[in-house]
Amino acid sequence: MPLSLNSCQGASVSSMLRLLCALCSLAPAFAHAGVVRGVNEDNGLKSWHFTDADIEIELIQRLPDQTRALFMNHEFSREVIEELATSCMFQTIIRNNGTSATGRPVAINLTQWRMRHAGKVTGIKLKESWLESWTDEQASHAAKLVVRWGMFPTQQEYLPGDYNWGLTAYGIPPGSIFDLEVFWKAGAADRSGNIDGVECAPDVDKLK
Amino acid sequence: MRIFPPLLIILIAVSGPGVAEQTLAPVPEGVLAPDFVLQDTDGKTHRLSDYRGTPVIINFWATWCPPCREEIPSMNRAWRRFEKEGIALLAINMGEDEDTIFIFTADYPADFPLLMDRDGAVIEQWPVRGLPTTYVVAPDGTIAYRAIGSREWDDNGLFEKIMELKK
Repeated sequence: MPLSLNSCQGASVSSMLRLLCALCSLAPAFAHAGVVRGVNEDNGLKSWHFTDADIEIELIQRLPDQTRALFMNHEFSREVIEELATSCMFQTIIRNNGTSATGRPVAINLTQWRMRHAGKVTGIKLKESWLESWTDEQASHAAKLVVRWGMFPTQQEYLPGDYNWGLTAYGIPPGSIFDLEVFWKAGAADRSGNIDGVECAPDVDKLK
Repeated sequence: MRIFPPLLIILIAVSGPGVAEQTLAPVPEGVLAPDFVLQDTDGKTHRLSDYRGTPVIINFWATWCPPCREEIPSMNRAWRRFEKEGIALLAINMGEDEDTIFIFTADYPADFPLLMDRDGAVIEQWPVRGLPTTYVVAPDGTIAYRAIGSREWDDNGLFEKIMELKK
C-alpha cells in the first residue's frame, strides 16, 4: 500500500501506524501553539511565549528594581530612572523560527502593536518618544545610547534563524494587566496575534 | 517491527526544532563595509580597511546585552580556529569604557580584539538595529553575511561558510 498522509484515515492500518498518524496530526498544533504562560521557578518572574508559523515572541517580566539597577549605572537623572523603571518593561525576544530552506523574512514594526488597558486601546511606549524628550541634564549622550540600543528596535527584519533581545515598555504602572495585539509581516503577508492577560511586574513595595 | 522510513522522516521533521540552525544571511553583493578606526582595550588601533585581503568578522555588542554575553564563549573558541586561518575577528563594544569591559572579561574571557565605540559613532554608520549584530566582511571589503542575534560561532557550518570567502 503506498504510504501517504491520507492513509491516516484508513481502517486497515496497523496500531503502530495509527499511533504515528496521531502524532502527525498533532504537529500543526505545535506549529501554531498560541501563547504559553510560564513562571521562572528561581525568581518568580512570569513570561508569555507566543508562537506562530514564522515567529516566536517572548515577553519576560522585568522588576522595576532590575530596570533601576540597569539605568543607575549610567548618567540619567533620578526622575528619568524612576520613569523608566515604572513603565512596565519586559525583556522581549523575537525570533524568526523558519529554517534557511523553508523560512521567509519576518518584519516587525512596533508602531503597529496595540495594547488594551483600562478600556483604552493605545500603542506601546517606543524608545523614540523618550529619546526625543530628554534634555542633556536628564540623560547624557552615553546614557541615551543605552536606551537606544537596549530597548527593542522599533523596526527590524529577521531572516530565518535571526532573533533579537531587547526591552519593550508599555507605559502603565507596575502590577497592571493588559492585552497585547502583535503585528508582523511574514514574506508579503500581514499577520497578527493576541497575547492576552499580560501582567506588568509589581514594584518592590508590592512584593511579599 | 517494521518501520516506515518516509513516515519517520515526516515525524522527525515536524517534531520540533531541536538544535537551532546556525545561519548567516547573505547580504546583496556590492555593499562596501563602512570603514572605521577604533582602539581596542589594549590601546592598539584598528582600521578596518587595513584588513583588506582577508575575511573579517565584525561583532557589535555591549556588556549589558544578554545574548551578547551568551555568544562570547563560542566566539572565543571559534577565534582559536579563525586566527590560525588568518580570519580577523573584531568585537566592537557599544558605548562602554575600558574598566567596564575589563571587569566583564573576568567572567567572559575574550582573546580576540575588543574595540571601543565610546560615542556610538561607528555603529551608526552600519545598518545595525539591535545588539548583537554580526557582519562578515569579504576580502574585497564588501559585506558578505549578516547575523542578528547570537550564534554558536564554533559551529562547523558557520566556519566553513566563512572559510569559503578565502577562496
